[in-house]
Amino acid sequence: MAKVEPGMEAMVDVYIFETTGLLEQLDEILLRTEKANEFTEDDINEIFRIMHTVKGSSAMMGFDNLQQLAHKGEDMFFIIREAPEKMTDVGFVYDLVFQMSDLFKAEIDMIQNNDDYEPTDFSEMISRLEKGAKMLKGELEDDGGTAAAAPAAEAEAPAAAAPADSTTVRVFFEDGCKMENIRAFMLINNVKESVDEVEIVGYVPEDIESNQDSANVIIDNGFLMTFRAPDPKAVFTAIENSLNVQSYEVVDNVAASAPAEAPAAEPAAPPAAASGTAPAASAPAAAPAPKPAAAPAEKSKAPEQKAPAAPSSGGGKQSLISVNLQKLDQLHDIVGEIITTESMVISNPELEGLRLESFTKSARELRKLTADLQDTVMSIRMVPLTGPFQKMNRIVRDMKVKLGKDVELVIEGDTTEVDKSIVDNLNDPLMHLVRNAVDHGIEDTSEERVARGKPAKGTVKLSAMSSSGEVVITISDDGQGIDTEKVIQKAERNGLLTKPISEYSEREIQNMILLPGFSTNDVVTEYSGRGVGMDVVKSNLSKMGGSLTVESKKGEGTSFIIKIPLTLAIVDGMEIMVGDAEFTVPISVIKESFIVKRDQIINDTKRGEMIMIRGVCYPMLRLNEKFGLPSDVNDIEDGIVLLIESENRGICLFADKLIGEQQVVVKPFPKYLSQYDIKGQGLSGCTIMGDGSISLIIDVNRLIESH
Amino acid sequence: MDIKELFAKQEEMKQKTLNSKNEKESEITKVMTFYIGDQVYGIEIPYVIEIIGVPHITVVPGIPYYIKGIINVRSKVVPVIDMRSRFGKEEKEYNERTNTIIIEESGVSVGVIVDEVIGVIPVYQKYIANSPDRIGVNDNKFIKYLLEMQDGIKLVLDVSKLIFDGDMFITEE
Repeated sequence: MAKVEPGMEAMVDVYIFETTGLLEQLDEILLRTEKANEFTEDDINEIFRIMHTVKGSSAMMGFDNLQQLAHKGEDMFFIIREAPEKMTDVGFVYDLVFQMSDLFKAEIDMIQNNDDYEPTDFSEMISRLEKGAKMLKGELEDDGGTAAAAPAAEAEAPAAAAPADSTTVRVFFEDGCKMENIRAFMLINNVKESVDEVEIVGYVPEDIESNQDSANVIIDNGFLMTFRAPDPKAVFTAIENSLNVQSYEVVDNVAASAPAEAPAAEPAAPPAAASGTAPAASAPAAAPAPKPAAAPAEKSKAPEQKAPAAPSSGGGKQSLISVNLQKLDQLHDIVGEIITTESMVISNPELEGLRLESFTKSARELRKLTADLQDTVMSIRMVPLTGPFQKMNRIVRDMKVKLGKDVELVIEGDTTEVDKSIVDNLNDPLMHLVRNAVDHGIEDTSEERVARGKPAKGTVKLSAMSSSGEVVITISDDGQGIDTEKVIQKAERNGLLTKPISEYSEREIQNMILLPGFSTNDVVTEYSGRGVGMDVVKSNLSKMGGSLTVESKKGEGTSFIIKIPLTLAIVDGMEIMVGDAEFTVPISVIKESFIVKRDQIINDTKRGEMIMIRGVCYPMLRLNEKFGLPSDVNDIEDGIVLLIESENRGICLFADKLIGEQQVVVKPFPKYLSQYDIKGQGLSGCTIMGDGSISLIIDVNRLIESH
Repeated sequence: MDIKELFAKQEEMKQKTLNSKNEKESEITKVMTFYIGDQVYGIEIPYVIEIIGVPHITVVPGIPYYIKGIINVRSKVVPVIDMRSRFGKEEKEYNERTNTIIIEESGVSVGVIVDEVIGVIPVYQKYIANSPDRIGVNDNKFIKYLLEMQDGIKLVLDVSKLIFDGDMFITEE
């Protein structure tokens, strides 16, 4: 992580978390407004708030470049906010802000990952933002300079009585910064000092120097200051640069009427109110705390102080907290241990043969509670797929613009929940597949589509659902489908074929595009075509214990189907014995288990024992021989055979006996053993059983590979 | 810590104690002693987490012969090394005197199976013999220093070498 000022290290994490969250929120709002083609007042306020918070916290952390960048973005929305209804052609604003948010994200990434972080120079982007702001301004002025949009002024506002050439601003200080009256006083001094020829005409409340309670008035209504200056902009700058200023707005200086207007109707209601209406409410996982946690007074902020400051926020209180993932893992481990220990107590051999009625009753109660506890802990780690899914919106939007294709992304079932560690690893595979769908899947022109009798607008559908311990994510497009002819030709050219062309089934051919080094696109584009990607996607997914398959119909579209386990930490397993050792085979791969007769075994001199099941020949792997375990069960008729299948490959395992089904908590092998290739032996980890013994978990893919 | 450092530190400590308390000799550390065959070995107490018997060992394929497998120590999965076999001695069937000493260094835990734990002895500077080369056995790369005591020589094992060195290395996960 980047080095920051001493004493700030602890804040960097919070800063990164908050800012990333805010930027995601910003993207979301922009995407939504771009689609709806209008900025509502709430949106603009929200964007403004985000930019302002980012600016403030960046400045706090000493990331000046980021602060400047955010500042320019804020400027732009400041102009927009003055007259939202005048915004007609704002397409360039979106591009600019998206670019800015990308730069921001990249920079934050660097801050997070580089020890010797050097701030990037954003002057180019800044000048572009400035230009954008100028253009916006020009547009505004063309519209007759009716920038006076703020409808309300406080009844007691001096603005009402103020001379026409004076300006009144309403300043809000950061929530919880305390001593607002003193800060207001400092603000006045600051303005006086830094701006030439400024005349402070008056301010409300007037008794800031003497009356402590004026702080509360400022919290509720803001601090109103009327001044006269040849260059009001300089004053605005001075206000912006003052400490702890959260936001300010120009109150209508044309002696606006409407003294009775309710304060709640103000466009710049206190920020807390704005956050109540924020779209963030629809995406709770993405919603960060509504204020900069990096604010210096954060720690000292008492909740009761916030209450009077945001009376209108109603039920908008944050009910989410962010927790270090490590702590969660720790909790998870402890719960796993409790469950193991519980089993050890309840099925303690010393209790055997005793009549223990009330003990058994209590034990049952305890077991129920610990099961609940485990479920709850598991559910804490579960997060909805909303985050990674929403990110795809952005990718489709960018590609749409770049490739000039008319594509719509439809998202379904994004509230499906999966384990946090899986969500984190899903971003890359999803991005590849969505890009692929837009770039390769959808036809190049809408004419082509219309000619095939399809709607001109292409659709890429991203959907998720959970079914029996797995999450199924489908990325489908209604594009041209996979050209199997082309695929097989290409495969032949690249030497990927292992049998005569005529022996390949449609499905096999379609799945060839997942092989390393395969790309049917002859032209390499910015987005795809380099032949990396699909195989990377596949290997990323199988690292998580997931799988990827393709289904396609020529001319109708292609679907990529991802199946991943809900969680990595718990496996539904079948316990088997081999000699003295106990093994766990994930239930999901077991097709069936049966006892075989000796005459069913085919002995192949090259490939060893084989067995024919419903016309398919499977190799037989004796686990005792494979793992070098002495076992009494050597006759194939005495033991049990499990048919397991994974990634379209099958194998039969021969074990001594089945013990039963059990949910097990997966533990990695001890660190000391990481120097040896245990995983290569076909074992993915171990687990502690109820009786305290250790069972080794079989990694079916590796086992098949190693055979 | 190498021997010179240890000497220096010890010398310093000795001086201090002599000056302040005028004691004869100060204790450097404590060592837990045990038998492997007929030889007495020791492990410095700070590395020792606990001593248990020989629990059920789960055999793990693909590891060297002297690592017997993994055991469950209070819900923690720990690998166990048979010290006889590690030092090239003939393996012996475990009996009720056989102990597993769980040691830990830098977050890596390992159990070592020894013939019999003897006890804990204090170590004074005067016991420490100079060079482990004097014992011409093949296990000397794991020896931190020797203790020459009246009841015989004791070899104190170098735990970090035992865990991190030799023909092994730990890859970070």
